[in-house]
Amino acid sequence: MNTTRIDRGSTDTTTIYSDDGDLVFERTFDAPRTLVWRAFTDPEIVPRWWGKRDSTTTVTEMDVRPGGRWRYVSSAPGRDDVVFFGEYLEVDAPSGFRWTFNFETEFGPMGGPESHTFVEVDGRTTVRSVGHMGSVEAIDGALATGMVEGAIETWDRLAEILAEI
Amino acid sequence: MHESDPLSVTFAALADPTRRAILARLATGEASVTDLAEPFAMTQPAISKHLRVLERAGLIERGRQAQYRPRRLRAEPLRTAADWIEMYRQHWEVSLGRLDDVLWDLQADEREGAER
Repeated sequence: MNTTRIDRGSTDTTTIYSDDGDLVFERTFDAPRTLVWRAFTDPEIVPRWWGKRDSTTTVTEMDVRPGGRWRYVSSAPGRDDVVFFGEYLEVDAPSGFRWTFNFETEFGPMGGPESHTFVEVDGRTTVRSVGHMGSVEAIDGALATGMVEGAIETWDRLAEILAEI
Repeated sequence: MHESDPLSVTFAALADPTRRAILARLATGEASVTDLAEPFAMTQPAISKHLRVLERAGLIERGRQAQYRPRRLRAEPLRTAADWIEMYRQHWEVSLGRLDDVLWDLQADEREGAER
């Protein structure tokens, strides 16, 4: 058991944890990994699952090879479009790929390297997605302040949380 | 993440226990450098160095008085960092759920194709 693993809100189906500066998502799908690979790398399929259900994703660029770029535009009613983009760093079909995952925020593009590995056992495939967030303290600090949401001007509460991390 | 983007600077600033303790102290109200140095077994220059990192990250700012320039907390970068991680977490949680349905549909299509 890895002692640096901290659960970050796992659900019934998806395991979510931080491990040092990485944020890790794991989920097992009832599908062979060739199909999972297609779902991640076919520009016709990506829009069917990328982002929230009320959003529409348009793949404007997808060049699946090292150094190739990708760019998805997510549109939804009542908000500005969000642009996701980056570059493929390593491509190893059908066992996984590494890319940079960025999105536009009001402070400019933010993001970092992210890897996706697909492991098939008995016709089922476990997807493990790992995003590099910097450090475990950064994740703690950020999630702790996220919990005080809206009440951040209440310095007393923020003080308690900062003291705990 | 690149050192140049504001979020990385926030994360790097948060990654040190002394700096987090300074932020916790400032969360209770503004304080002078002398006040801030007091609980730590550290020289004032060492504390000042941490304060510069926090200041560069936009997590604290200086008061206006010329002589006594108390430091105070700025919450905005903390909130941005929190928002970013939360958005990221939600993105994958939601997308992987939808992917499950899509993989199901794709396999159903394949089975139908084989039967035809």
